[in-house]
Amino acid sequence: MFKVRDNEPDYALLNDPNSKVRNRYGTPIDTISESDELYGKSLNINGDAEVGENPNRYKQHGFFFTADNCIACHACEAACSEKNDNPAHIAFRSVGFVEGGTYPDYQRLNISMACNHCDDPVCLKGCPTRAYTKFAEYGAVLQDPDICFGCGYCTWVCPYNAPQLDPVKGQVSKCNMCVDRLEVGLKPACVSACLGKALDFGVIENIPEGREQARTEIPGFPTTDITHPNIRFQQTRTLQRDMVRVDSTALKYHRDDNEDKFKPVVDPKYGNKREWNLRKLRSREDPLVLFTLISQMVVGAFLLLFLGPMIGLEHLAPTAHSTTYTALLFGLLGIETYALYTSTMHLGKPQYFYRAFYNLRYSPVSREVASLAVFYNLLGLYTLLITFPFVLTDWIGLSTSFVDTIIHLTGWAAVIAGPVSLFFMHSIYRIKARPFWNHWQVLTSFYGNMLALGGLLVGYIYSCVLVIEGLETAAMINVLAWAILSGLLIEAYGLWRHAVDMKKQGGEGAASHYVQQTKFGKTYRARNIGLAISIVLSAGLFIGLPQAEIAMTVITLLAIVMLMTALVGRALFYVLVTPTTMPGAFFWHNKGFEEHARETGLADMPQVGVVPDSH
Amino acid sequence: MLFGRKQKNPIKIADKGVVEWKYAACGYCSTGCSIEVGLNTDGKPVASRGVADADVNRGKLCLKGIFEHELFDSAGRGTEPKIREQWHQPWQSTSWDTALDKTHDEILRIQEKYGRDSFAIISTGQMLTEEFYTLGKLTRGLIGTNNYDGNTTLCMASAVSGYKRSFGSDGPPGCYEDFEHTDCLIAWGSNLPEQHPIIYWRMKEAQEKKNFTLIVVDPRVTMLAQNAHMHLPITPGTDVVLMNALMHVIIDEDLQDMAYIEANTNGFDELKAEVAKYDPVTAAKICGIDEDRIRHVARIFAKSESAMQIWTMGINQSTHGSDGVVGINNLALITGNIGKPGGTSLSITGQCNAMGTREWSSCSGLPNHRYLESAEDREEIAKFWNIDPEFFPKKRGMFQTDIYHAIESGQIKGLWLIATNPLTSLPNTARIRKAMEKLEFCVVQDCYEDTESAQYAHVYLPAGTWAEKEGVMTNTERRISVVKPLATPPGQAKPDLWVFNRMAERFNKNGNVTFPEKAPDIFLEMAEISKGRLADISGMDHDLIEKQRGIQWPYTEQQLKKGELPPQGGKRLYTEDATFRYPDGKAKLIPLPFIDNNEVPNEKFPIWLNTGRLIEHWHGRTKTGKIGDNNKYSPIPFIEINPDLAHELGIQRGEYVRLVSRRSDAVVMAQPTHRVAKNMVFLPFHFFDCANRLTLGLLDPHSRQPAYKQSAVRIERMEDQQEAARLSMEMRKF
Repeated sequence: MFKVRDNEPDYALLNDPNSKVRNRYGTPIDTISESDELYGKSLNINGDAEVGENPNRYKQHGFFFTADNCIACHACEAACSEKNDNPAHIAFRSVGFVEGGTYPDYQRLNISMACNHCDDPVCLKGCPTRAYTKFAEYGAVLQDPDICFGCGYCTWVCPYNAPQLDPVKGQVSKCNMCVDRLEVGLKPACVSACLGKALDFGVIENIPEGREQARTEIPGFPTTDITHPNIRFQQTRTLQRDMVRVDSTALKYHRDDNEDKFKPVVDPKYGNKREWNLRKLRSREDPLVLFTLISQMVVGAFLLLFLGPMIGLEHLAPTAHSTTYTALLFGLLGIETYALYTSTMHLGKPQYFYRAFYNLRYSPVSREVASLAVFYNLLGLYTLLITFPFVLTDWIGLSTSFVDTIIHLTGWAAVIAGPVSLFFMHSIYRIKARPFWNHWQVLTSFYGNMLALGGLLVGYIYSCVLVIEGLETAAMINVLAWAILSGLLIEAYGLWRHAVDMKKQGGEGAASHYVQQTKFGKTYRARNIGLAISIVLSAGLFIGLPQAEIAMTVITLLAIVMLMTALVGRALFYVLVTPTTMPGAFFWHNKGFEEHARETGLADMPQVGVVPDSH
Repeated sequence: MLFGRKQKNPIKIADKGVVEWKYAACGYCSTGCSIEVGLNTDGKPVASRGVADADVNRGKLCLKGIFEHELFDSAGRGTEPKIREQWHQPWQSTSWDTALDKTHDEILRIQEKYGRDSFAIISTGQMLTEEFYTLGKLTRGLIGTNNYDGNTTLCMASAVSGYKRSFGSDGPPGCYEDFEHTDCLIAWGSNLPEQHPIIYWRMKEAQEKKNFTLIVVDPRVTMLAQNAHMHLPITPGTDVVLMNALMHVIIDEDLQDMAYIEANTNGFDELKAEVAKYDPVTAAKICGIDEDRIRHVARIFAKSESAMQIWTMGINQSTHGSDGVVGINNLALITGNIGKPGGTSLSITGQCNAMGTREWSSCSGLPNHRYLESAEDREEIAKFWNIDPEFFPKKRGMFQTDIYHAIESGQIKGLWLIATNPLTSLPNTARIRKAMEKLEFCVVQDCYEDTESAQYAHVYLPAGTWAEKEGVMTNTERRISVVKPLATPPGQAKPDLWVFNRMAERFNKNGNVTFPEKAPDIFLEMAEISKGRLADISGMDHDLIEKQRGIQWPYTEQQLKKGELPPQGGKRLYTEDATFRYPDGKAKLIPLPFIDNNEVPNEKFPIWLNTGRLIEHWHGRTKTGKIGDNNKYSPIPFIEINPDLAHELGIQRGEYVRLVSRRSDAVVMAQPTHRVAKNMVFLPFHFFDCANRLTLGLLDPHSRQPAYKQSAVRIERMEDQQEAARLSMEMRKF
């Protein structure tokens, strides 16, 4: 048990003589009843079997933050990092701020934020490894870094930036509510350290002495709908109409008088100049750019290969150009293997990749990985069977027709598994805390790419083969061009609607769109032009081109344009997202400064608190 | 409700394996917090926490204190003495004996060749009191240079000077408990939440209980200003005008406490005559605070049952620093707000032991606020130390700032720097650098070998830091706290006290003067000569100080003998009528004519440069610049710049800009914020080769403290941002 001093000051002692029955979301504050099997068990902290005597052990607890009072002294963050022995680049609690007004009528609102131990912990649901547990004790949402394999998905879904991905250790860790202190009746370390009389803690919905509000909105704090967070605020001082973020995020919070709350709106803090910033397209998610594009291409190519002959593309029949067919299948298998490898290596701890299947019940990551694994295995099986059918017929002695049926069924299963896995792949990005992603366009993009890139790959390779063999290509290109064109059109329509919706929606989505049109304005435009050119070229192919040589040139050109467009487009998708996360400060937790520190080499000094890029 | 996995691993929470907590007073600012440092089984300091029953901090610590245990093995610690013939040669490792002999010989050589005062010694507010006392004895009693000062001149000199002028002695009369009794608090150029977070917390606790009126005078909208009842965004350097105007209103409206004035002060009529010139209408035009506000504040202040004033560098670091302190004291005196609960003028001090230097270093005179100018004081100390009273100079020598000017012009040839880094901390770096280059001999004694001033040293002496040493410190409210060693200095590094004693051996070959080896014994010696004085510490010893978590002076032998334990807090000075330190017991009311000699912005240099501190950093950053959990909040220099100005200049958030003053330039990152006026930028002073490349640092005529906070600059956009980033990074190693 945590050692309590004899003279522990009052401010450090938990003090909740009474509590409410239900919280504002309608959830009971008692996490379990006395009869529950989880009741009275030890938290087993560092192997200690003792059971804490806190009378409110089975009540949901939460932080209370008097925003008016926070002075951004960082004592809470320091106390937290000191207790949890975190390196400088990791912080379970951070203070950021927003500011507004004109000198001297200026206001700065500091916000200290850790984990809100939500009623509906999206981190827990999203984690593929089930590293998260919401405990009956205090309602604490705790994460086990030893189980975590460092995919970072929880850091995507959490609206409050609570889970901290450590690129050095390759794992996530987060606020543990100081449950060791709670067990002995002490408030968390951050609360006990607060110097502004801002931070407090207790049973949720309880209002500390000397405070009268228990709000769930302050500027910069995302809507509670996403997770039902267990934090309450007091913020009585009248704020400026616009409270601006000082980090590089193009957002400010604008007072909506009708609803008496602040809503995120775009703050065009870097003007309206369109730039390229091609280098800044690179990010930690680079492997995912390749992984998603390749997987979509492989699924699409397989669909066409398998279904092609059924819709009249005789050239694609396994027997028509058997060498090409098998080579292509092995090729697909090969690049998908690479895709899976690169996405696995992107994990903090790739050796634990198998943990990706642990949370099929809730996590879209688990589902994606599982369904993609199914597709990948079916593709492999199909490839092997169609290449070496004699193993079954000659060696084992199955009848040819039976083997054909097996091959056929395997193929059909893969045809279903492929698009299903792409659907789950898309679900990964439908994150409420990331409005730029949370749009049906992700699905049109993934399926569009499936058709377009799949069609391109099959079309290109077969055209080459047919031309070499001196055969007629027009009929096949015509059909495949249709697949490419429809894929591109689906993608283009999705992108167009996405841009319109993001702008209309405002907030973080619009901020992403603003960055898309400024910092990456030229890149974005180039991508769109690339898409338009691809559409024109593939339409040309669809309408029909007389000569094979011209067709080949067009297809080659199309391939180059499409691949570049796809790469840039997908890279943009990752770098543009603006999460609904907490405002940072000017240096600390400012993405812009982190980027700068990495570019200039400041990050090489560990005391700067930014970890250098590993890629 | 979701509960996750059924089979749970044990919850892992970091356990640093603390087996023992050891007591120490914090070595950062002057608040005087009590810390417990946790040692693991290897005896390595791994954790820090506030001492729960210490009256000052009551279990709390700021972010610097929370990570103070990381100081011991932070980067750049010196582990062996070093020596070289010329500063531009590479360092050679050497033995302590060689280094100390060399230093001793060079001091003698220079003194013989150029005169006794041609060797200067500059110390700090960072050391422990017994170390100051020993250094003072060595310097005044044996080395005999009169050019001996501390870096407190950059920080507290104006407060010292102002207290002396008003009350006849240094010594802040109030205490933290005053916050709990006051009805009105004026904070002059003091940003408590950032500079003294624990004092802020004490104030905030009191304010939530009593909701006294908080008035903040500051050109910048600090968190304190923002949280105040009233914020007076004053024009830089014009505080004295505002003070005079407030007094004008008070006297004009007959709100002064005549009974108190008559019983306790001299000079009221002269003061009245002077402030008569500062009617609010006239004053408003100079200080930028409108006449209604001036009248309102004056009335609230004067009518409050008890009213207190605090101040820090906003007042001290000005050409009117000493006058500003006197002005604050004047306001307190005419309203009877000295020595009563909630009524005080409390200088919020800077360094952890700035007060200790003031009391015991003998920089400005002789121990325990004694004056070189007083024959009686010289006689008394000479006798006590067993030296010839004639060896003492009869007037204090130069201040740190003047010492540097004398090095520049060649009157001073040798320098011993102890735990201070003038190359970062003195104004006008170019001038300081040039002076340092000229030294025939410079010895730097510091716990860090990468302190920038060591660039120009001939000998480097590696010292212990903070709780590698033993001794006491005095805080803002005159509370003496003790530090006990809980770690040993790295390598061959030694506590400063050891260094002074070894040096003393070399100057004390005939053994006439005694230098006790142990800090507790030195403390008893100090206690002996404190008897009957204002700062009487004769009732204290190290053990009692630790037991009490600090004791405010005075606490006398008589009190101890009576069995009267020192109070937890709440001890004040001048609580009885006519107990000020002038011979007649009366304080002086000093008229303060205002002359505007600030470097006011003009067409070429149109922007005020305001410098100041950040909560996460400590002074020259040699400590905090290496501790990630402090440094990361501001790892590189930046300015706060008004967004309208930034817009006009075409400067974007996060871009580097070049600041140019009449002295030199500096490259900093721009943080647009309406915290500052359009004609002002705020630049933290912590960074080497930055703020002080720009500052003018005109000296206060009384305290010789530089005016760091009022300079004029222009701002230039930097076209090549990559080059700017490279330059900014190259200019400092951490």
